[in-house]
Amino acid sequence: MADLLSTGISGLLASQVGLSTVGHNISNVNTAGYTRQITNFNARTPQFNGGYYVGQGADAVSVQRAYSQFLTQSVWSANSGQSRALQYAGFTAAANNAVSGSANLQTALDGFFGAVSDVANAPVDTASRQALLGKASSLVSTFRSLSSQFQQIDQQTNQQISTSVDSINSLAKSIADLNGQIARASIGGAAPNDLLDARDQAISQLSQIVGVNVSQGSDNMVTVSVGNGLPLVNGSDSTKIATANNPYDSSRLEIVGPTGSIISSQLGSGSLGATFDFRTNVLDPARNQLGRSAIALADAFNKQHAQGIDLNGDAGGNFFSIGDPAVFNNTGNQGNAQVTAKVTDVGKLSGSDYVMRFNGAGWSITTSAGVAVPSTGTGTAADPILVDGMAITVPSGTPQAGDSFQIQPTRNAASSISVAINDTNKIAASGPLAASKGTANTGKATLGNLTVTDPADPAFKTPVSIVFTSPTTYTLNGGPPQTYAAGDTITGNGWTLKLSGVPAANDTFSVKPAGSASGDNGNALALADVANKGVLDNGVTTVGKSYSQLIAQVGTAGAQANTALDAQQSILDQATSAQQSLSGVNMDEEAANLLRFQQSYAAAAQVINAANTIFDSLMSAVRG
Amino acid sequence: MRISTSWGQQQAVNTMLDRQYSLSQTQLALGNGKAIQTPSDNPAAAARAVDTSSASAQNDQYTRNIQSATTRLSVEEQALSSAGDILDRIRSLTLEGMNGTQTDESRQSIATELRQTLKQLVALGNTRDGQGEYIFAGSRTTTQPFTIDGLTVNYGGDQSQRMVAAAAGLQVATGDSGSDVFMTIRGGNGTFVTSAGAANTGTAVVGSTSVTDASAWDGGNYTITFTSPTDYEIRDNAALPTDPPLATGTYTGQAGTVNFKGAQLNITGTPATGDTFAVGPSSSQDVFSTVAGIINAFEAPGGGAPMNNQINAQLQNLDQASTSFLNTRTKIGARMNTLDQQAEIGDDVKLQYKTTLSNLQDLDYASATSQFVQQQTALTAAQQAYVKMQNLTLFNYLK
Repeated sequence: MADLLSTGISGLLASQVGLSTVGHNISNVNTAGYTRQITNFNARTPQFNGGYYVGQGADAVSVQRAYSQFLTQSVWSANSGQSRALQYAGFTAAANNAVSGSANLQTALDGFFGAVSDVANAPVDTASRQALLGKASSLVSTFRSLSSQFQQIDQQTNQQISTSVDSINSLAKSIADLNGQIARASIGGAAPNDLLDARDQAISQLSQIVGVNVSQGSDNMVTVSVGNGLPLVNGSDSTKIATANNPYDSSRLEIVGPTGSIISSQLGSGSLGATFDFRTNVLDPARNQLGRSAIALADAFNKQHAQGIDLNGDAGGNFFSIGDPAVFNNTGNQGNAQVTAKVTDVGKLSGSDYVMRFNGAGWSITTSAGVAVPSTGTGTAADPILVDGMAITVPSGTPQAGDSFQIQPTRNAASSISVAINDTNKIAASGPLAASKGTANTGKATLGNLTVTDPADPAFKTPVSIVFTSPTTYTLNGGPPQTYAAGDTITGNGWTLKLSGVPAANDTFSVKPAGSASGDNGNALALADVANKGVLDNGVTTVGKSYSQLIAQVGTAGAQANTALDAQQSILDQATSAQQSLSGVNMDEEAANLLRFQQSYAAAAQVINAANTIFDSLMSAVRG
Repeated sequence: MRISTSWGQQQAVNTMLDRQYSLSQTQLALGNGKAIQTPSDNPAAAARAVDTSSASAQNDQYTRNIQSATTRLSVEEQALSSAGDILDRIRSLTLEGMNGTQTDESRQSIATELRQTLKQLVALGNTRDGQGEYIFAGSRTTTQPFTIDGLTVNYGGDQSQRMVAAAAGLQVATGDSGSDVFMTIRGGNGTFVTSAGAANTGTAVVGSTSVTDASAWDGGNYTITFTSPTDYEIRDNAALPTDPPLATGTYTGQAGTVNFKGAQLNITGTPATGDTFAVGPSSSQDVFSTVAGIINAFEAPGGGAPMNNQINAQLQNLDQASTSFLNTRTKIGARMNTLDQQAEIGDDVKLQYKTTLSNLQDLDYASATSQFVQQQTALTAAQQAYVKMQNLTLFNYLK
């Protein structure tokens, strides 16, 4: 019966372990990543006592985490998803703020075209011409301001990428270190619970930045891989990833693995994946769309402006100036070829970026996303490569097989647009031609609309005299007779003139270039109408519409990001609830356990007391 | 199911944060009255709002264009109305001068007054609009279009017409060139002109002329020659002198008509043998030359049939000028009508745009306010629940 004492002591000790664990649980109720611990008790091996076994008390055999690999992994995965959605929503919100802020392009466009109309209403008025230049400059500064806001967001993505890479490397290092400590502490099969929690917490933090794949190894160590199976942590070793400049555009960062290959696009989830996704799928398209609007405006307005005559009597020059498409050499290019690109047909311009590769014999062009684009031409000045409204030439140098170039047709156009005119006299408000009726005409024909059809006609500016040899025939500058019926349109060198009424023989009409200081507003009216003219997408989309497309594009991305964030948040909440339901500390439960172990401790103490009493009884019996 | 105490608290806090956020969003919307804070709130509506406000801005611009065009047309209309009054004055002065009781001296003084009215007419031709541009100069709006030298008036403008965009695809002229209004006025009765031979000695005067059959008039040049005071023959100027005359006729007494090829001339007075009258197609004659012709006729001494013949021809021209002014004013009226209608349409459209824009962008205060109250209640409930939950722990009873 002497064993009753040791049985009691075993109960005391076991209860102490239980109490310690409860205390540990209570203390760590607010520790992030803490997993509730449970003490496991076993009955000691019983003592054989002839015909039966007598129990010898209890042992605390282990302290285990209330842990499920599955639930924890779901939290990690949900973490990656939520963190990605959060980052994406943050960036798209920034892009949304850029387009909904004070830099409202539509207002600037309306103001600008309004000023053009005002010039049409008072074509020789210096004040209205000055106002037009003022509105034009506020329009280009709006373009630039929007563009620079997008550029700032682009720089934020760069910062995000480099801080994320630092965090990934430092977390990988801690996970590897913890792996080592855990392996050392796991000798004899005991699990170092709190080290495991610390490592899980580090993995959880890593999973917020980048999606992880965790597999169990020996000695409680884990292998953590990211992207397409790049092992970041293997046992107690970690691999470093790094940032590197994009091989084409050195202003943006990419992520390279230990072998130096770019893995940016493989990092699907987590905040880092969101950063790349946002940059590729929201920011770049938005910047390209804005640039496309700028090019559309500059091109359409310049073309119409060139058709007019300014106050000095000269043909209109460029009203806006805008940069050509940007071409970037791949840093790995072996040849010394240089490539230039020009916009030739705004209507065909897309919002894509392009990569052109030399295969040793010829060039092939794909979008940056890798979709092949049909093109014609060989790249010489006489036979440029024509692709999606651009003409690409290789003016100098020789390419080597494998050389590639990236072309960004519209990306930086909005930041390069400027007003090319600062002299109010150079606004070409007047139409290029003036029609007149001979003063000695006796017929009843009157002048109708004079329409410019092709200002590039070589004889466009040659004065033309229309002489009616009879009421139904006329000659142009003494040329062959042509027939006329009342209301016919006479076609000249790049223009058409409509007459109405019946002329008499010997009646004359003439069309000649407009002179200087003309109060004609024909071209100003046409310039104001550029606002309504389909310019982009093969002449379907107006400049203003292209801006509202940008709003819709950015807004939709923002709305989708917000919806995705809500969804991902609730997935994370559910995963966390499930995991916490198992692993979290419940204070009531701990309070109950506290009572339980307190009571069992007190009872075990009573057992010792009983043993003592029994022993005393025996002693007193012996003493007699 | 177990609840993790700290997660449970975190969730309660998250709920409060969420409700606070939605409450603050509603508050923001109530503050600035906008239903769309950023395009992501409603991308389709945000894009449509941009399009609509742009269309509305363009519509406003058309309204401004119409206002400026209306101003310019009013100036022109006013100038032409004054010019019409001047023509009336010239006409009455001319009729006064033709009166048989006038002498060379009195005609001279009428001519002096006519010279003055000619200058007034030129001044009206040089009318400027609010921006200081000459409205009758075609596109040469910065150069004075009409210059007068003695009785000769030259036009320095061109034949361009300024247009205004009154709506998408609708351009309305905001002026007429001086060439159309003052210079290229068809002479005579608009179809043919008559003039008396310079060597005429009789007292025959061509009065009113008219076209009786427009299809018969071929636009040729003809001469009416009186072979005796009562007989005349009509020859085509293009015909050979040996050809027979086109027609012959008799003229009786003091008044009669000559008809040929759809043209009719009323002649009064007694012609002398050998007197001729030329008939030719109308060509352009400017109103200033017409007035100058009258002045010249009055200033030439003698009066009588040669003067009356000249004056009668010029009076016809004056009527043509009056008609030209009236026609131009009618055109101006039609344009102003178009502009007025367009302005009304513009006002209606503006209202529509405003409504559309308001539907797209403006906050529905009633629903936002009730939403605010709901969200407030929800937040209060979450807060109260949180506080109540805090007391429910077993540790409270471990004393």
